[in-house]
Amino acid sequence: MTVAQERDVRGAPIAVPPPTTDMTQGLRNIAEYGLTIVPNVLSGDSLKRARDALYRAADSDRARSREQKFGLDYAHDDTNRRVWNVLSRDPVFEDLAFHDIAVAYVKAMLGWPALLGNISANITGPGGGEMVLHADQIFIPEPWPAEPQGMNVAWCLDDFTEENGATRFVPGSHRLNRAPGPADSEADTVPMEAEAGSIVVFESRVWHKTGHNRTQAEQRAGVFAWYTRPIYRTQENWFLSLRPEVRQFASEEALILLGYKTAGLGLVNGASPA
Amino acid sequence: MSAIAAAASQLKRDGWCVVPDVLPPAETRTALDRLWSCAAESERRGMPTFLPVLDPNASNVRVFFLLEFDALFRQLIRHPLAVDLVQSLLGETFLISNFTANIARPGSKSMGLRSDQSLVVPEPWVQPWALNIIWCLTDVTFENGATLFIPVSHRWTTRAEMPRDADTLLRPFEAKAGSIIAMDGRVWHTSGANITKDQDRALLFGYYTKPFLRPQVNWNAALSPETRASLDGRMREWLGLDISANTGEAVQLRYLEDQFGPREGVR
Repeated sequence: MTVAQERDVRGAPIAVPPPTTDMTQGLRNIAEYGLTIVPNVLSGDSLKRARDALYRAADSDRARSREQKFGLDYAHDDTNRRVWNVLSRDPVFEDLAFHDIAVAYVKAMLGWPALLGNISANITGPGGGEMVLHADQIFIPEPWPAEPQGMNVAWCLDDFTEENGATRFVPGSHRLNRAPGPADSEADTVPMEAEAGSIVVFESRVWHKTGHNRTQAEQRAGVFAWYTRPIYRTQENWFLSLRPEVRQFASEEALILLGYKTAGLGLVNGASPA
Repeated sequence: MSAIAAAASQLKRDGWCVVPDVLPPAETRTALDRLWSCAAESERRGMPTFLPVLDPNASNVRVFFLLEFDALFRQLIRHPLAVDLVQSLLGETFLISNFTANIARPGSKSMGLRSDQSLVVPEPWVQPWALNIIWCLTDVTFENGATLFIPVSHRWTTRAEMPRDADTLLRPFEAKAGSIIAMDGRVWHTSGANITKDQDRALLFGYYTKPFLRPQVNWNAALSPETRASLDGRMREWLGLDISANTGEAVQLRYLEDQFGPREGVR
């Protein structure tokens, strides 16, 4: 079968880089494509625990009519589901948000300290529609600074396939250093296919969207941990919503990512809140 | 054009404006008295009013927690004129990042030259993302330590644009007690030195930012339950206490189909 060769924003063949556990290569991938895939971060029991916890939370929200829509989602279906602030839903999500590999990428890409802006889940279901093509740092007015101001670590808790709504990317679009406009809506995208247990690390300027789920019966769950440089307001107001034990048992790194350990901004009486 | 519209227009053009007679003399004196009470309360609670990281000597008295200490300051931070100027520069939505006082007593010295925006956010600084509303509780003169600023410096979009002789371009914000001075976050400035023998220079700095920036103070963690309970919805929004958080821009975008129209057989 021949596949039409799609081109990226500079006319280069469109592709995503192969998965790698080598962080140096991973950072090179992010510089070139805007994203990299790290395979097998979760496997066996750790994957099952995270997946079970997420579907339990999603089912609970649906049963109680607590689901919240998101403005960037396709509005006209009820098959795609979001679960917000998973950090407060089960301790297994602390393992994800503060995972060594995730934090190592945060430090390399954003510097330190950094903040966890949000960690939420997106489960596509059969027939689920696409999101609006966007970059995650669109809240920052242009012209954007030279470096990315945030990044996502997407945890694939199911296999991400083209058919089941894998996140679709415009590789290399981060190098344009601007948000996509209406004229970019037809930009060629490539599905970020990855096996369950992988993470996809992508910087905040690369254009992407949830894919269309064309399957009859498959769901695919992803947990998206969003990190920013420490000067930005978090999406989730941790001081309002965080389950108290998360803070109580948090590591130093986690306290920094949640804004409890800080310097310069986010102070109480001129000093760090914790 | 009304005086306020003229002030807003000057703020936009020049990066600053002074509005005189915002507080009548009696209210200005009351505010100054209450500020000294806050300074005493601050010390009593173990929060020092001299910070060696900020000031070279104890002649600067800093008070950091005005919003918690006194309802008078909770009124000043949302004074309609202040809010008008803030919204004229930053847009309708904004955050209150901090509200502090700096009393420069005789012998106080200058800080380093900076713009508030340059200390925090990366280049380029094309738009105002922050501003100070400065309340003058005493007359402010060059001699008693008026804030020194560089005219038109809010147009410098990078550090490289700063002239080598920047320090020679400084001039004072002079104003009478009861005035407010509004200053774009991109204006390069420093506190002046108080070279008088016996005059205090008392200023309150209301610092406001775009709503996507992290406030200097974590109001959720800082304010007492009693103070929080005293705030109305608008103040809660401006202090970022609730769940609105940093999603405002995203939720204003429309759905794909609404944006581009329905399509057959999309992928």
